Amino acid sequence: MNNNKIDLSSIELSTNVANPKQLRQCDISAFDAIYLGDFSCMDYPNNFSSHPELLADAVAEIHNAGKKAYLRIYATPGNEDLPEVQAMLDAALALPFNALEVHNLGVLRMLKERGNSTPIHLGVFGNLYTDATARVLKDYGVERVYPNPELSLKEIVYIRDNTPVEVLFPVHGKIPLVISETCFIVENSQCATQKVNPRGKLVCDFPCNQDYWLNRSNGGWVLKDTGRMTLSGKDLCMIEHMPELLQQGLCCFYVQSHGETPEYVAETGRLYRAAIERALATDALPGPSGVETLSQLAKEGLCNGYYFEGAGQTYVGREQRLGA
Amino acid sequence: MVMMMAPGGTKEMAMRVLDAGADSTYVGVKGWSRRGNAEELPDDQIHEVIDYARARDKNVRIVVNTLPSSTEIPMFMERVKMYHEWGATGFMISDIGCMQLVRDQIPTAEVHTSVGCGIVNYADVHFLTELGATYVVLPYRLSVAEIEAIKRENPNTGIEVFLFKTPSGGKICPGKCMMSSYFSFERTLDEEGKDLFFGSASRGGDCLRVCQTEWDLETEAQRHQQEITIKSNPSLWLTELPAYLKAGVGCLKVPGRDRSVELVCDITNVYRRAVDEILGSDAPKLMPLERELQALRERWKAERNNRDDGLISSALAASNRALVADAIGY
Repeated sequence: MNNNKIDLSSIELSTNVANPKQLRQCDISAFDAIYLGDFSCMDYPNNFSSHPELLADAVAEIHNAGKKAYLRIYATPGNEDLPEVQAMLDAALALPFNALEVHNLGVLRMLKERGNSTPIHLGVFGNLYTDATARVLKDYGVERVYPNPELSLKEIVYIRDNTPVEVLFPVHGKIPLVISETCFIVENSQCATQKVNPRGKLVCDFPCNQDYWLNRSNGGWVLKDTGRMTLSGKDLCMIEHMPELLQQGLCCFYVQSHGETPEYVAETGRLYRAAIERALATDALPGPSGVETLSQLAKEGLCNGYYFEGAGQTYVGREQRLGA
Repeated sequence: MVMMMAPGGTKEMAMRVLDAGADSTYVGVKGWSRRGNAEELPDDQIHEVIDYARARDKNVRIVVNTLPSSTEIPMFMERVKMYHEWGATGFMISDIGCMQLVRDQIPTAEVHTSVGCGIVNYADVHFLTELGATYVVLPYRLSVAEIEAIKRENPNTGIEVFLFKTPSGGKICPGKCMMSSYFSFERTLDEEGKDLFFGSASRGGDCLRVCQTEWDLETEAQRHQQEITIKSNPSLWLTELPAYLKAGVGCLKVPGRDRSVELVCDITNVYRRAVDEILGSDAPKLMPLERELQALRERWKAERNNRDDGLISSALAASNRALVADAIGY
């Protein structure tokens, strides 16, 4: 399918990388931009979101590879976390990040108060549902929004068309469904050991290095839990629908890879890159979309999230969509 | 002076809580609040409740705290203007865009930020105050010390707290949770063209409480039955009330739009006496009231369990409908 509005140079495919180890292990060559850091857990080892000393090297490495570097700021800071967030902002704003991703309205206001001019991206837990909200956020320096996962494709396109902000469009990966202030795995897993330091604080030995699943005891429902975030059990997958998304003029695509393996990051990136190139090519031959491969990477199967107006867990194929 | 608000899940409940000592009642608009249709009121009943309250020198707050579709906002503003003309005093709102529109177009209306805003720190309250919030409702999970810090940082913002709470920590709900809609979301338009967003509390449907069924937390290596719930439930509290009032809380909110009229009136009555006791005495005696509340907690739990069972069943049914429609099966 051809599109005369979009060419390859205006497309951005991005994903997330939590720490230097993942950055070393992951082949990110298919991506144009990287969201650095895990916004859900400040304690995660060497998390870019809580280790200012790691940022300069990372941003240089990503820029040297010709990609954009965005930094994720902790999503749910309590009163006592705000000084640490402030220190992170100090460090980040001294570096050439292309944008900061912010989920918390309080942090957004802190940035405005200090006269920040680095572009801001609103994160998934920023509760962006309406064009009216996007306009309020624009006044706080927000240039791009991650729409709430509950929005349909139509609602997202409406916001893109009627506001001065850009929309990020997640095309693949498990959907963030709820965020926590404390670690669900440490609190509930029989495998995790609970150690307490002399100050009475729970010490974490990172059980989240394994995959944890929440299965409804009587069957039917599965979720993935990464400790401070619960994700959909199924993987959002829009690869069959890339021609439609490109035709709608969407151009910032995102693979949500929190808690996934380096192989997953490399493979999804490669397949989506290919899907975008194929959709934009004038002489592309019909070929496999890649959905079969992605299905094999998804332990609990695939879904389309809420894009086609149904429950997040449903999957609508290309042919069904064309028939509708 | 502290304002005590109590729920109006039905017209009868709204009127009776005012008789039981509430200063104000809050009522949800059909399709526009974070509850199912059964606990929301049609417009003619909202009008009656406003007249009833005003005749008694009390007031009504309108719950319009859904996160709507962009194209529904004109409908939202039309409604808010209508209720304001009828004499409603304040509006509970989640969407910050809608909040700013109300502030700009109806400057005399009081704006309560809804629990759907998911406040976690005092800087959030700075943001919402700047946007024009009269009251911010704090989540169920904050300690007295955290509330004090928020009030200290925001001395001119009205602080509203629920009279029930969860232990601190855990999943952030309401305000940052989409588990219910992931399994059960269905979009349907009512006769006025409002999407009811079944299965999504944030969008105006009901939270179907999927966190409250039994779950097992498992790894690849370890499979075992645990039957935990994903989230703990809030419960009614009392003994900290003097500390909350001292911290500068200006509005107390009795929960229970989806509970029975009798239970909600009994709870309202206990809290009315508690507030009067605290305001009227240097050494308030709360123990007798705490004993009364204990019985109410039991009734609350029984009603909640009953209701949760029904909601989880409807989530399972909706989830099955969604999966039948999903014929590809990747």
